[in-house]
Amino acid sequence: MGIRIEGLNKDYFSEGKRIRALADVDLTIPAKQIFTLLGPSGCGKTTLLRCIVGLETPDSGEIAIGGETVWSSKKGIFVPPEKRGLNMVFQTYAIWPHMNVFNNVAYPLQTRKEPKKDIIEKVKKTLRFVQLEGFENRPATKLSGGQQQRVALARALVAEPKVILFDEPLSNLDAKLREETRKELRDFLTELKITAVYVTHDRIEALALSDAIAVMKAGSIIEIGSPKKIYFNSDHQFVADFIGRANLIEGKVRAVDDSYAVIDSGIGAITCPKSPDTLLGNTVSICIRPEFIKVMENDTRESRNIFRGKVDSLVFVGEAYEGDIIIGATRLFTKIESTFAMSAGDEVTLFFDPDHCFVLSK
Amino acid sequence: MNRTLNTRAALTPSLIVIVGFLTVCPVVMLIIGSFSEGLGAFGSFTLEKYTLAYTDPAFAGIIINTVIFTIGSAFVATGLALFLAYLNTRTNIPFKFLFRIISIIPMMIPHILFSVSWVLLLNPSNGMINLLLQEIFFLEGSPFNIYTLQGMIMVEGLLDLPIAYLILAPAMASFDVSFEESSKVCGASNLRTLTRVTLPVLRPAILASFILVIVRSLASFAVPSVIGMPGRIYVLATHIYRIVATGFAADYGMAAAVGMSALAASITLIYLYRYLTSESEKYVTISSRGYKPSVIDLKNARYPLFVIVGILSFILIVLPVLVLFYTSLVPYSMVPSAKAFSMMSWRHWIEVLKDPISLLSLRNSVFLGIVGASLGVTLSVFVAYVIVKIRTRASGFLESLSFLSFSFPGIVVGVGFMWFFVQTPLYATIWALLIGYIATYLPYGIRPLTSAFVQIHSHLEESSRVCGGGTLYTLRRIVIPLLIPGVVSGWILMATMFVRELTLSVVLSRPGTEVLAVQIFRFAEDGLWGQLSALGIIMIFISTTLVIIASLIGARLMKVETVSQ
Repeated sequence: MGIRIEGLNKDYFSEGKRIRALADVDLTIPAKQIFTLLGPSGCGKTTLLRCIVGLETPDSGEIAIGGETVWSSKKGIFVPPEKRGLNMVFQTYAIWPHMNVFNNVAYPLQTRKEPKKDIIEKVKKTLRFVQLEGFENRPATKLSGGQQQRVALARALVAEPKVILFDEPLSNLDAKLREETRKELRDFLTELKITAVYVTHDRIEALALSDAIAVMKAGSIIEIGSPKKIYFNSDHQFVADFIGRANLIEGKVRAVDDSYAVIDSGIGAITCPKSPDTLLGNTVSICIRPEFIKVMENDTRESRNIFRGKVDSLVFVGEAYEGDIIIGATRLFTKIESTFAMSAGDEVTLFFDPDHCFVLSK
Repeated sequence: MNRTLNTRAALTPSLIVIVGFLTVCPVVMLIIGSFSEGLGAFGSFTLEKYTLAYTDPAFAGIIINTVIFTIGSAFVATGLALFLAYLNTRTNIPFKFLFRIISIIPMMIPHILFSVSWVLLLNPSNGMINLLLQEIFFLEGSPFNIYTLQGMIMVEGLLDLPIAYLILAPAMASFDVSFEESSKVCGASNLRTLTRVTLPVLRPAILASFILVIVRSLASFAVPSVIGMPGRIYVLATHIYRIVATGFAADYGMAAAVGMSALAASITLIYLYRYLTSESEKYVTISSRGYKPSVIDLKNARYPLFVIVGILSFILIVLPVLVLFYTSLVPYSMVPSAKAFSMMSWRHWIEVLKDPISLLSLRNSVFLGIVGASLGVTLSVFVAYVIVKIRTRASGFLESLSFLSFSFPGIVVGVGFMWFFVQTPLYATIWALLIGYIATYLPYGIRPLTSAFVQIHSHLEESSRVCGGGTLYTLRRIVIPLLIPGVVSGWILMATMFVRELTLSVVLSRPGTEVLAVQIFRFAEDGLWGQLSALGIIMIFISTTLVIIASLIGARLMKVETVSQ
């Protein structure tokens, strides 16, 4: 069941100042996909989610879930959250401390007054699905963080909602558990083939979980695309920078052929894939991710994108060196295999594949 | 949607009106009253009552007594509390659970009964300890006389010990030990470290406790009336009482004029207390690092010091109840002996249970306890909801308004309400007492409920909505069950306060609206110690019963949810 959002606006007033939480957001979330809203804190992603679920009212615009309009300022429609047929996993999990696991999970069914026998059956099935079999009588307060998270998921799934929404559900877990839970969640959601809207500020979470990512900034959606598109070929500097460490180099387009463009920059001539912006004479920004910059031992067969630079600093972080390499007046941030023998002050040869850099449109 | 917005919008102002009336009305009426000629004669503005009140030759003496009494009590309570808090948090004294008991149980014993038990022990004519010492040492006169300022200070100090302890113990426990450790590294002894480092760093907490005890003893009526008045030692509270309740004509105008200075002093002190407690948070004495304070080994002093603590808890908790129970059974004051035990009977109990006024006061107090606490808690639920969940400037105003009555001495509030009720048909009805009680003790209901609301994270309600629960369903299954612990403790606090209420009641209670504490006070005035003790034990019994019933109901209501599968 897809979600359609049109012209959504929402302002906040804080200390006399007007803050635009949502600025004319248009968005279509396709059915049966994991769709992620990614952005820095305060970008409006949680507000958007809360508007979809009905816990917050936008100032203007329209929201439709699976063809049914649930909010419209023009038509004066407001469907309260309990009638939208969605469910949500909260950042705090919102597990009710005065109930046991059974009642927490059974709650959505109890609100619909389903027969007791069915409720017991469905709760059992859902708890098995999230691997909490036999936890029915455990008080909610006697659960670990990871277990609470799974109870919250079970509660969201049990009534088979049209759409399930996640508000940074992993941010309260410690790093190791977060990684494991992320994988589990991915498995659960792919198995269910359910429409999921996922809010996070964690780029790795977004890349690992999503079918599509919408990157938000200051109340607007900047770019939408698959994780690979966003990572390898984002159009916007903000997105390229936010989704991972990036070296941004400006230059002028010198030549263009069928598939590549050559750009004159501070570090020399860079060959990169052609894009609508690489018109002769245009000034463009090129994005190169640190992990794609390689240090070459000696001269290779490669003729494109070979540069000489000096190692300015080198930090050993375990799986790699994080090195700053200076070419002319440009500083490149690189990630180099930690087995590579080199030290600060060395002259090195750098290379990156023309297909691994891309031109930003703005 | 619009309707819920409207009810929400109307909630804050209507609560401001109700709470504003309850807290501000007595003060405004007090001010108006102090400038009027007499109850019911508001019309003409006059300064006569102020002249009368403040040119009274006895007034200077009353002020001096008040100052000595309040500051003396503050020294006793804070000093003892420091001693106990230090022993508990910083040393290896045995049986630490006793300290928790000391800090909570004395609040359960009504102040008037505590004062009476000391009168029974130490009064010069037939106090039990006096009689005992006379017998043992063949003394001519009584070695102790409770009816003195020292006696008042000692009893009031003991009564205020719990509140001082509750301020000092947390401060002592969260104290950054590195201050002390560095002092010891510099070669200072334990004692020197205590006096040169520990106490100065704790100064804000000590001052806060000191001031709060002064405020409490300024408002105290039980000790000054039961112990001070027989010795003709008057402080502001008893002076006001004397003006309205004894003599030929009660002068509520003059009482209001005197009350103004008690009110002013109290408000100033509370303001100072607030300033000090906010100031103390600025000192970086409290470290968030989770290490335990180093424990000082008391070595040989361990058990002797424990004996002192044991004696203190005996004096605070066991002795008053024991003395009262004993006195209720013997025909007249006598030292426990074989003869005394042979003469024991239920005579006083039977007399009390046959006395129509005692029975009436019993009924009134139970009514006020149950109905008053229920209404008070209901109001508190709404006020706490607005304070915690609707965070606007108006709700902030409501918050300060609702805690205002903390700083009003009860007897002054009583006089203020008197000026109000006399204009209404509520005068001399039980409802006047009910309104007065709720106004004075509202903070006791709001405190536990605000913390209950704080615990209900908005996500808990929201997730219920998302799960398909409507507003009412969410209220029934999520909000109310989570509120129950707060409601129960608020109800218990209010009900026990109401059952024992004395200060406000001595002013507002009229024939027909007697309450337990006032009846006990009358017995004390008449020296009917046996009946007093019997009624006192009944009072403690009723409080305890209410506490138990409320806890049981609370436990029952909370259980429903986890069992119903």
